[in-house]
Amino acid sequence: MLKTLRPWRLASHILKGCAAPARRVSDSFKTFGGEIALAGSEGTPKKFANPFAQSSPAMSDGPAETEEDREKRRKVLQLEADIAHQEGRRVPTLDFFQDHHWDHVLSLPSKSARIKYYAFLWQINMKKEADQRKKAERAEDTERRIAELRKEREENTHIIYGLAHTSMFLRIYDTTINHWQNNRLTRAMQFAPKMVLDCSYDTHMNNREASYAAKQLMLCFAENRLNDEPFDLHYCNAQMEGRCMQSLKRYIPTMLNPEFPMNVHKQCFTELFDKQSLVYLTPHCREDLVTYNPDDIYIVGAMVDTMNNEPLSLAKAKRLGLRMARLPLDRFLQWGSGSGKSLTLNQMINIMLDLKKTGNWDSALKHVPRRKVVDMDSQRRTEDGRKALGTRARKLNVRIDHLLDFEEERRHATAFAAPPQALRQRKEGMEFQLDTWSAGKKKKKREN
Amino acid sequence: MYNIRLLRQLRWPGGPHRLMASQHKRPHLLGSSDQLEQLKSNYFERRQELSGDEWHSVRHSLIEGYKHINGHNVDAVILGVCSGPQQLSLAKNYVDYLRSTGAGPNAATLGRLLRVYNAAYHTRPLSEAEQRDILQICDSLQAAHETLDATSCEQLIHGLVATTDHWQRALPLLEMMKVTSTPSVSAYSALTEKAFGQSDQTELAWRLLEEMVLARKQPKCEVYLVLLNRLAQEPATASVQLERLLQFLERHSILVSQKVAERLLQLGEQLPQQLRVTGSRLGPLGKCLECRQHLQPVAISEEQFRQLSECFLEKVLIRGDVFQKSTPEEVLRFKQYVEKTAPYDCVIDGLNVAYSTGAKKAPQQLAKLLATVVRHFKERNKRVLVLGREHMRKWSKSAMHYVQNNASLFLTNNLSHDDPFLLYATLRSGQETDFFSRDLMRTHAFLLGAELKPIFRRWQQEHQFSLVTQTQTGRIIVKEPIRHRLCVHKAKAGAWHVPYCEAYTPNPTDSFEVPEHWLCLSLKT
Repeated sequence: MLKTLRPWRLASHILKGCAAPARRVSDSFKTFGGEIALAGSEGTPKKFANPFAQSSPAMSDGPAETEEDREKRRKVLQLEADIAHQEGRRVPTLDFFQDHHWDHVLSLPSKSARIKYYAFLWQINMKKEADQRKKAERAEDTERRIAELRKEREENTHIIYGLAHTSMFLRIYDTTINHWQNNRLTRAMQFAPKMVLDCSYDTHMNNREASYAAKQLMLCFAENRLNDEPFDLHYCNAQMEGRCMQSLKRYIPTMLNPEFPMNVHKQCFTELFDKQSLVYLTPHCREDLVTYNPDDIYIVGAMVDTMNNEPLSLAKAKRLGLRMARLPLDRFLQWGSGSGKSLTLNQMINIMLDLKKTGNWDSALKHVPRRKVVDMDSQRRTEDGRKALGTRARKLNVRIDHLLDFEEERRHATAFAAPPQALRQRKEGMEFQLDTWSAGKKKKKREN
Repeated sequence: MYNIRLLRQLRWPGGPHRLMASQHKRPHLLGSSDQLEQLKSNYFERRQELSGDEWHSVRHSLIEGYKHINGHNVDAVILGVCSGPQQLSLAKNYVDYLRSTGAGPNAATLGRLLRVYNAAYHTRPLSEAEQRDILQICDSLQAAHETLDATSCEQLIHGLVATTDHWQRALPLLEMMKVTSTPSVSAYSALTEKAFGQSDQTELAWRLLEEMVLARKQPKCEVYLVLLNRLAQEPATASVQLERLLQFLERHSILVSQKVAERLLQLGEQLPQQLRVTGSRLGPLGKCLECRQHLQPVAISEEQFRQLSECFLEKVLIRGDVFQKSTPEEVLRFKQYVEKTAPYDCVIDGLNVAYSTGAKKAPQQLAKLLATVVRHFKERNKRVLVLGREHMRKWSKSAMHYVQNNASLFLTNNLSHDDPFLLYATLRSGQETDFFSRDLMRTHAFLLGAELKPIFRRWQQEHQFSLVTQTQTGRIIVKEPIRHRLCVHKAKAGAWHVPYCEAYTPNPTDSFEVPEHWLCLSLKT
């Protein structure tokens, strides 16, 4: 069934093209069925309008809503939420709602979309309340524990050794680690190669995609900071009023502070860096990235494109006249029929970090989730490897089975497909018996 | 011709149809209904009123006992439990209790009280005091807010409809409902019912009915029942109104429920001079067993066919947003191929057919199934076109050679949607071409809009073959298209034939099965 709004609006706009009167505000919020009613009741003698002959996707919703209309609508929706809450439906109390929630609610097209959104907020509210309740319970327990501890310490005249008392271990707080990592980042800003995240795709994503993009941007920053040799990350084209950046600000509130080692720029990367050294990484172009060049500045488009299929990053790179490249995924990986070849932003950053460190694509592409990659090939490769190892070991009369078993077990833990059944079970007669080890002649079993 | 329903029961035995996905989502929040039923039987069954302390204890036990009931919503929950018509006094008692202690009932509680009034109104007329109470509640709610939300409007409509003189106030409320959402089935039904019940508001009632159906809401049985009751009392206008009703049902392909059908039978006995109604069944080839007339064929007119084909052809030419997964070269190649090899007797959706009996089969079995279908048509000397994808070349050679020799074969490359190709080829070949696919084509029907959708559905019913199943021996059972109409319509000799289903469903799906029960109606003018 249709999941995007655009084909709906397209068809409805074409159907409405016959209806001349200027639309009231309430019209633009009618559901699709209502709009058909409007067009259908116009009468058939008009010229037949082809619902598929659309000229261009119309994004605007008719005459702009005035402030007071918006206020009135907001009041009605608040009443709706209030009454639904009073009836016991999945809606949180009115004081849970904040301004940005209402902005989102006002943009939703239909009542069922609103109901789903209220249910989502209700779930968050319930989780929060449950957390608070648990925290209160735990606080009581902690109080009791601390009181006992204090009593014990008073009674005891000796030194108490332990983690919270006298010990040789320094307590390392989270803030210390943060400071240490931030220090690494400031050093990176001076010496390390640069990487750009292009945040100009806000208008091409819907609300959910924008919040996913914000989460991925936050993860980019975090995983970059964690690495031993981080990049100097720059977030360019960041419009702070856009949804993506607003969500990012909620994840990292201190983002714009001058002392926080995050480079957020409103300008485009072409104004900040030299065009010759920029390379746009986009999956839609034809040239593969072969070797990593630390003098180049690589750009990754910060866009979650589940809904949108258009090659926007390619178009942008062409327009700006930049070099383009894509990751050589086809050459090094066997793609399964899984969720397609899209990678998240933090996976991209991890791949580039590993590439910078090792220069080896196989180890860099370990960051692609295994579920997207077909495992058969890797299985076969390891089988061959093991056979060669086995023949060599037999020649040298070295027992390596316990090592291979360990390997196999470890591989089982991460493999998805069931390994093919071995014809002979190698394990028979090869278990290690402590009692009979070096206690007599080895009894050779017939099966082996 | 096999009876499809019987076959399905044999093939997949066991129980009622599995629940649809939508019924698993959003489970009811406030406990399962049997818990609330228990509450109902414990406290409310035989009582007309409870004292203040008892109400207090009921509230308390509800708040303690259920996770999601708290101080805000317990009142509405209690009123939701006493929603039956016999529990009106109990509901009123509770509201009085709330008024006497504390802040009084909130808006949701008052709305639910109006619902209880409405339920009671259907069993007995309401007294003056009760009607005054309803009006007072409506006035207070409307005064408190300028525009009301959809739920409150619905409750108010139900309340006003229960009064005798003030139901006209409900009409602007319906308009107010449209600000936030499409009005619900029950709101529309309540108003339409009331309008039909009044002697001079028939036009208004018909307008509301039309609006309702255009908003894709199925009118409830009670609406038709009220109309039929009125016709029984006013025989003068009966035949005109009945004709209008039947034309309305035909235009919107509505299937009435058994209750309405029984009432129609009764009406036939009450007004024997004006109409004659009998229950009936359909024989083979769409012949009514009562009046021995053949039902109308489902074919669409030339003009309608031209409109439909223009629509699809333009879409495949223009390649709008919905079907962008193809290249212009391929479309051109396909069009040239069709020009060369048209017209066909049947166009087969190869992949759909091959995967009909299960997706996890080996390619040889898939190819064999396809070859069997092609042979089915070859035996009847028909020309067919088979649409598929490039990877089908790798299927079993023997089967694919058979297909290539006995049919025209066109393979596309990695196309997600092969529907436009199928429909283009079928429409291009003219009115006599059928197509073979199990796809219900719901997306297409929806995208075409309210005007073309019934035309498309009729064309689809007339021309769609589908594969029911493959027996153990390898024989296939094919469901042939049904060439007569399946909804309310007038047969050539003037008898109206009305199919009906067992129970009312709020969202009926388009089905291409022949309804089991029919009524044969003849109006004597």
